[in-house]
Amino acid sequence: MTQDELFAKIAAQFPKIEKAAVPVKDYLTVRLPSKDDLLPLAQWLKTTGFDYLDMLTGTDFLGPVDMKGYIRQQNFNVFLPDGATPEIESAAAPGYAYKPVLDLLWSFVSIKDKARVLVKLEVPRDAARVPSLAGLFKTADWQERETFDLLGVTYEGHPNLVKILTPDFLQGHPLRKDYAHIKDRFDD
Amino acid sequence: MSNAPVIDNENVSGLKTDQLFINMGPQHPSTHGVLRIGLTIEGEVIAKAVPDIGYLHRGTEKLAEVRNYHHCVVLTDRWDYVSAMPNNLVFCLSAEKLMGLKVPPRADALRVISCELNRIASHLLFFGTYGIDTGAFTPFLYAFREREMVLDLFEMLCGARLTYNYIRLGGVMVDASPEWRTRLTEFVEYFKPRLDEYDTLLSFNPIFMARTQGVGRLSAEEAVNWGLSGPNLRASGVDYDVRKHDPYCGYENYDFDVPLGEEGSCWDRYFCRVREMRQSVRIIEQALAKLPEGPTMATGVAKIPKPAAGEAYAHVEASRGELGIYLVSDGGISPFRMHVRAPSFVNLAMLEKTLVGMKVADVIAVLGSIDIVLGEVDR
Amino acid sequence: MGMILEKLPGLTKGLPGGELVLTTADYLIDLGRRQSMWPMTFGLACCAIEMMASYASRLDFDRMGVIPRASPRQADVMIVAGTVCKKMADPILEIYHQMPEPRFVISMGSCANCGGPYYDSYSVVKGVDRIVPVDVYIAGCPPRPEALQYAVIKLQEKIKRMSLAKEGLATPQMEKGSRPFGA
Repeated sequence: MTQDELFAKIAAQFPKIEKAAVPVKDYLTVRLPSKDDLLPLAQWLKTTGFDYLDMLTGTDFLGPVDMKGYIRQQNFNVFLPDGATPEIESAAAPGYAYKPVLDLLWSFVSIKDKARVLVKLEVPRDAARVPSLAGLFKTADWQERETFDLLGVTYEGHPNLVKILTPDFLQGHPLRKDYAHIKDRFDD
Repeated sequence: MSNAPVIDNENVSGLKTDQLFINMGPQHPSTHGVLRIGLTIEGEVIAKAVPDIGYLHRGTEKLAEVRNYHHCVVLTDRWDYVSAMPNNLVFCLSAEKLMGLKVPPRADALRVISCELNRIASHLLFFGTYGIDTGAFTPFLYAFREREMVLDLFEMLCGARLTYNYIRLGGVMVDASPEWRTRLTEFVEYFKPRLDEYDTLLSFNPIFMARTQGVGRLSAEEAVNWGLSGPNLRASGVDYDVRKHDPYCGYENYDFDVPLGEEGSCWDRYFCRVREMRQSVRIIEQALAKLPEGPTMATGVAKIPKPAAGEAYAHVEASRGELGIYLVSDGGISPFRMHVRAPSFVNLAMLEKTLVGMKVADVIAVLGSIDIVLGEVDR
Repeated sequence: MGMILEKLPGLTKGLPGGELVLTTADYLIDLGRRQSMWPMTFGLACCAIEMMASYASRLDFDRMGVIPRASPRQADVMIVAGTVCKKMADPILEIYHQMPEPRFVISMGSCANCGGPYYDSYSVVKGVDRIVPVDVYIAGCPPRPEALQYAVIKLQEKIKRMSLAKEGLATPQMEKGSRPFGA
């Protein structure tokens, strides 16, 4: 099944869904108009053979990553003289349109048809709430917890949405671009 | 939990029974690292199992956002430290997609050889440690005898035993010398009869089979729903192998089979891996026989690459399953976002539900058969 | 044994020939300690695989009297093999305090020494010596199994120099720089 055939099939069922402006290379990438379309699409995909939820994740498009999220001296390379510019510093790439949104991604695979469709959805950073797929795909359980832990996305209807990777005393969501590390008892 | 058995505190004989909480890990010799499982047991039966991970969470995805692309390859080595080559490979494939690099055929063949060798090394470690988990120490010594030979080959190839950093953006670090190829051929010849030895040593050992056959069964639908991959999924009879499904590095040119299990029990998961070693040997032999001539590194790989803004996803069949990398670039020197689809992390999730209702003694058999590496679970 | 360790330095003090008794006791005690160093099977990350390799067929750690123990109560040496994450720091401390004295710590690999490739990570302790005192450091990422065996030889040399007169009973590690619980 080629990408166009697959997209035509999806578009026939969900006319509001369109192809993503920035596709993930080599794979069909579609963008959802709103979070209400996620569950019907996932349900439909599951019945049409896309019963393998491969991956779900998200990206924070706020801007270049904040260096306060790292435990690092200003000049961490000891071979550089004092006051020299550090080797790698996060800087805004010229001409790239950053926007304060979280871009979520789901990847569905059809093992039978050897096809893959990636579904994207933009949610605002301060109200990142999307329906959970844990009821449909058991694999979503931990992956949603991971995304919640690292990116702060709330999955509505998840049975047990608690931290999974980071230690309990860590505050904030590390993969958000504006994450600033608060020193704890192990950072003397 | 909803499906936990109903607890009857006053049983027929009037003896009082109670639930007992057992803390397994994070320092436990059989958890293969720093996994903690909170087990609530009811007599001999497990009523609730809560895996607690994150004891090895090193924040790799965050660190990648301030490393440049060449530096990121170093970080990848340390996810699945038992088989680091596929980790190198998947990052390079993904970054090469972003940059539009074309890898020379000789580098592709060397990538295939090194990944398959690493699969053998990884499955040998599984073979040894699973023997220990189920009460047989001897296979461990046999497995490490051969594993050291593989590591010697890696050392000769790239100078490292575990964390190779051999596969780089645009190709591989160095070409394989003729002596190395001779040594590899010798090893392959030596290794093939050893595989039969393993079968007599452990695979068809009656005690081992009684311990693992029919334990921790997973049906094909369940395995797909849990998102398992690699030998764990194939043991349930689902034919999903990224090497066949979405070939990379010219895997479509090699002739090999994908071993499938029947009922998805611990023994099936184990035996899938043992049979996979044979297929890896087959692939290595073919790749060695038709190793193309030419360069091993693409031209025009920048010292500090700045790929154009875009997104890419690449996945490979690593030793533990489908390992994927989702990369987002904003045009800067470091990846804007790197997400790892780690097979061990996804595979481990099924433990929470499958352990319920089992006997305590089967916990280690099931846990060992999933073959997790905590570095990859927590990243 | 505890009686000897506690009382002997006091008893022999001032006695003619007391020094000789002490040094002979030192020799025997240190011999026993260094020839049967039992480490705890305690793998954290990548280095644990190299630690396993050193127990296995080719490098056979048993010939040096190093036999892995599963319980900290029976162990003398803790080999910290791998990255110490903040979530794991408290369990490590707890395990360390469960070990009987005298106890020794080998820090294996760059991560345990100083954080290694994760020097700026938000969830990695930058060196295990921030929570427990370390006797021997091994460089490498990961170090070779031979390096681990060399570290054990170095630790044996260190134990050889321990003396009752100078240190008495092995000093409580709390004073040597380990953190108390929950610090």
